[in-house]
Amino acid sequence: MSVPHARGFLLVRAAGGVWGIANADVDGLAARGTGYRISACGEVLAADEILGVVEGLSVRPAAPVLRRYWSELPAGLAVYGRLPVVVVDPRYPPAALRLGEEGRQPGPGRAGEGQSGEGQSGEGQSGEGLDEARD
Amino acid sequence: MSDLLDQAESRARREEGTHLLVRAGEYSCALPLALVRRVVRALTVHPLPGAAGELEGLAEFGGEPLPVLNLARLVSSPPGANPSYPVTVVVWVGPPEARETIGLSADAALEVVHVPAGSMVAGDGGFVQGEAPVGGEVVRVLNLEALGNEA
Repeated sequence: MSVPHARGFLLVRAAGGVWGIANADVDGLAARGTGYRISACGEVLAADEILGVVEGLSVRPAAPVLRRYWSELPAGLAVYGRLPVVVVDPRYPPAALRLGEEGRQPGPGRAGEGQSGEGQSGEGQSGEGLDEARD
Repeated sequence: MSDLLDQAESRARREEGTHLLVRAGEYSCALPLALVRRVVRALTVHPLPGAAGELEGLAEFGGEPLPVLNLARLVSSPPGANPSYPVTVVVWVGPPEARETIGLSADAALEVVHVPAGSMVAGDGGFVQGEAPVGGEVVRVLNLEALGNEA
């Protein structure tokens, strides 16, 4: 399956965090074991769970104080529903998203497998959920 | 006229020395009240993989992403007893021309106190501005502007 070049952001959960990738950057998405493999900007990323595709994410630059205590270079921060989202530039993926990254903390698996349910209900989604994004 | 000016100056000095006292681990810390935006029950924090221990993660506050730092870790306090009413103190940090909003997780918000500048023993000159006796206890007086400066 692949994600079409639509507006908005693909939201994924990986290593316990929620991450956003601009749809325009996503070249492909495939199931991989209990998680997913995402191709974007020539990089291969890994996700534990796909939360959906959302539009209208208001992305803000990461605060300098955040950068002091976190070595990653996020493209920005946003909130979706009540979930903080780290928006990433796939060309500079954080270690938590790099496929096969040593030390990557595996997430708890796909939706419904031991999750709290937060962010999985599709609340407020644009209607461009994963099902519609699939080929 | 001179009395009025004296009163205004005295009030300004007093406001400058007004702090919110919070518990962070085994330490009590005084935060400049003028830079405290809100004290709320501990926000749900979503950890950031690979972040330093001081950075607990991101929370949502007023529809915005809010970095949350652990105050006890910032002041190198030994951990205290399990807090019964932990709070997130939403504060401004950094210089006035480049303020950022962050959350500080603390074990409890205690009271508003006055810390006269003359009562303080100098600290590290950075985030911990100094120590001062307040109500029979020595508290760490924090400089939130320095927290934003130490990038």
